[in-house]
Amino acid sequence: MRDDPAVIALVARVGDGDQEAWDELIERFAPLVWSICVRYQLSRPDIDDVGQSVWLLLVEQIGNLREPAALPGWLATTTKRECLRVLRAARRHDHAGLPPEDQMAPETPDSMIEQEIIKAERDAALRAAFAELPPVCHELLSMLISDPAPAYAEVSVRLGMAIGSIGPTRARCLERLRRSPHLVTVLGGHAGAIEDEEPRGEHRD
Amino acid sequence: MSIVTDSWDDETVLAALREAQLAREAVPAEFIEAGKSAYAWHNIDAELAQLTYDSTRESAEALSVRAETAPIRALTFSSPHLTIELEVTPDSLIGQVAPAQPATVVVQPGTGAETAVPTDETGCFSIHPIPPATFRLLCRTDAGLEVLTRWITL
Repeated sequence: MRDDPAVIALVARVGDGDQEAWDELIERFAPLVWSICVRYQLSRPDIDDVGQSVWLLLVEQIGNLREPAALPGWLATTTKRECLRVLRAARRHDHAGLPPEDQMAPETPDSMIEQEIIKAERDAALRAAFAELPPVCHELLSMLISDPAPAYAEVSVRLGMAIGSIGPTRARCLERLRRSPHLVTVLGGHAGAIEDEEPRGEHRD
Repeated sequence: MSIVTDSWDDETVLAALREAQLAREAVPAEFIEAGKSAYAWHNIDAELAQLTYDSTRESAEALSVRAETAPIRALTFSSPHLTIELEVTPDSLIGQVAPAQPATVVVQPGTGAETAVPTDETGCFSIHPIPPATFRLLCRTDAGLEVLTRWITL
């Protein structure tokens, strides 16, 4: 789960001064930072404040990360700490004099943070896998996950695809998605559940 | 919320993909842009000073129990060659570099313009007003040493 080779490569490039790699890292992990802030029910300006601190700390610390693969955990912990700081500051400011227990944000257990990390990693892996699908798969799946999903008749017209081949194409595209190397770390250990005698790609460090 | 399940059939994969896209779309573009621009701070060529003392950390537990007025906050940043002591008063930051020597202290906000204040002969300085958001201090001694603190948010 935590030893995604894509992340390790990105961290190495960031250390070499590669802005594009940094941008990719932000794209990948911004949803994790954002979702934890949302869990803490922070206002938008507070979320921006937390975000800024987290990214600045990341720029500073990324060279010292002993285990680049532990980045999601580091980000989640740092975000949590910054959220608590912002909440404490707001409390001092708005409710001076009230007993602190009455102003505590809802208790946010570490299990929540852990859940957010797992979900963010899975989401990021899915998006990375999705981005590498052939254009026809990309278009078809984009339509199928849109809300509301269009009827097959409409998909057929928009993609110029016979109605009869939408189902099989959908199945083929989803299979490609499942087989993406990006998803090995997510599906890893569960591969046996998928009817597939091909070896899953082993990941290298 | 489903975490990784044992049955990644077509419907599950599609639903997971939908969820992944929604999670990404929930993040405002400006939030992402702010993150990208933070990289401008990469590769600063100065000695880094770590936070080695923070009075609020020392007493955080006691404070939350007793809810008394916080004393003046004190912070210490240490690098191999320089220590920067900071005290947070209601309207300014008072500091001193040690060993005592004349220097220039530059306030670097995460975004926005820098400001510089000179220290006196003994390395004392004051910054007024207190920087509103995340910032750090770059201390340039007259002897030519540059020391940068970690990011500070008060």
